[in-house]
Amino acid sequence: MKKLLCSILLSLVSMPIWAGVVVIVHPSNGDTIDQKAIENIYLGKTKTFPNGASAVPVNLDSAVPLRETFDSKVLGKSSSQLKSYWSQKVFTGKGTPPKEVTSGAEMIKLVSSNPNIIGYIDSSEANDSVKVVAEF
Amino acid sequence: MHIPYKVGLSMKHKLLFSLCSLLLATSAQAEVNISGFASVVAGRVIDGTGVAEFDLGPTFLADYPLVGAYDEDISFKPDTLFGIQFSADLLEGLSATAQVVSRGADDFSADFEWAYLSYELNEHWTVQGGKKRLPLYYYSDFFDVGYAYPWIRPPADNYTWQVFNYTGVSALYNYLMGEWTMSGQVYYGSEDSDPNKLLSDFFFLENTREVWKDIGGIVVQFNRDWLDIRLTHMQYTNERYIGGVQQEWNGNKQRTGKFYGLSVNIDYNNFLFLSELNRLDLDGSNLDTYLVTLGYRIKSVMPYVSYSDFNDGEGGEVHHTTSAGIRWDFHPSAAFKIQYDDVKDEGGPGMKVAGDSQSISLGVDLVF
Repeated sequence: MKKLLCSILLSLVSMPIWAGVVVIVHPSNGDTIDQKAIENIYLGKTKTFPNGASAVPVNLDSAVPLRETFDSKVLGKSSSQLKSYWSQKVFTGKGTPPKEVTSGAEMIKLVSSNPNIIGYIDSSEANDSVKVVAEF
Repeated sequence: MHIPYKVGLSMKHKLLFSLCSLLLATSAQAEVNISGFASVVAGRVIDGTGVAEFDLGPTFLADYPLVGAYDEDISFKPDTLFGIQFSADLLEGLSATAQVVSRGADDFSADFEWAYLSYELNEHWTVQGGKKRLPLYYYSDFFDVGYAYPWIRPPADNYTWQVFNYTGVSALYNYLMGEWTMSGQVYYGSEDSDPNKLLSDFFFLENTREVWKDIGGIVVQFNRDWLDIRLTHMQYTNERYIGGVQQEWNGNKQRTGKFYGLSVNIDYNNFLFLSELNRLDLDGSNLDTYLVTLGYRIKSVMPYVSYSDFNDGEGGEVHHTTSAGIRWDFHPSAAFKIQYDDVKDEGGPGMKVAGDSQSISLGVDLVF
């Protein structure tokens, strides 16, 4: 019982750390990218980074829990609000939602190989092959 | 009536097959995305007056253009639909998109609602050509995608127009200006609707051909965080043939329609406010419509109330609807909705549409 309580407490304490989202770009990308810029890129309101270089956002698949954290913490919307937003665009020819990958490892691979890609991962997954531009 | 209809259907299927094979053929080089949406809705009139002079029993006309009407028996037909979209990314900014929609109100015959080529000129401008939905009212071009709005269907009093597609060209733009996004489109085209379903099946009870020529319009939309403002203007030239005989209006074979629309939407924290104010000036007569909807999001559940109104300003066609409903996002890609609609038809002599009615409808909208 004590063990269970301990592990619950421990998971409560450690949750904010493990649920941290870091937004990542290619190490050569020297731009300053704030939350508003991330939001504009992920909502398809702009196709460029603040410095004018082409920006291609990549999402995690909705089955990955971190996706929901990113949607609510960074974009400030629930996953269903975003789905509704994109369905309006997709079926009227006004835009397409970001491409999706199924894991943080895949995300890191894409971002580290292309200076135009922007993505996000769990903060614990970050390594030297990518550059963290924002943490939430 | 039935034979040409069936011929038309097989033609459409041929077109569908050739388009599918085109998409499949291009898939070797290009990426083809398939997405879709569906609404399965059941409803019925609880109580209604009908219109005695037209020999019409209690009726709720939920979808004017397609004559999606409920009566006192439970029906799935008026609002149920399935849509599938194929989009081939041909690279270098070029793409081809086709959307086929099958509706209960149309006995589930599958029709192309959209079939267009799209070319991205630069990061701000995209040109498109082909068959599209006419972006007249705020919800016109995604009218079929129930998942994208709160109600079971956009308020019927506003969405009464008999023509909802056009074939032509459009240029879409999108500019980020500080905190604001300015987007919209300019478009030009025409539509020859023969027979036009609403006019033939509901209003004139005779084969009616409705022609809209020289349709030209502009949409300007300003968006900032929780605020969304949309302005639009559209003009067209109308010709009409009832039972093969061309109609005249004050001795003229054509008349001009000028449409003006303003929409203000607010999505602030959990609070939702949607509004539309529209005027169609049809050769000097003003047909005015408006709607107001209020909603409040409690996690995945959103109750809403709505009021919509149509008034021709001459004591002719006058009707309004008060609605209340709940949207529940019970699944990441699906929403359950239940809605009550109370329609008051205050049309003048011979100008009633479907009489007063109280109705209930419920269903599920999804996207994939």
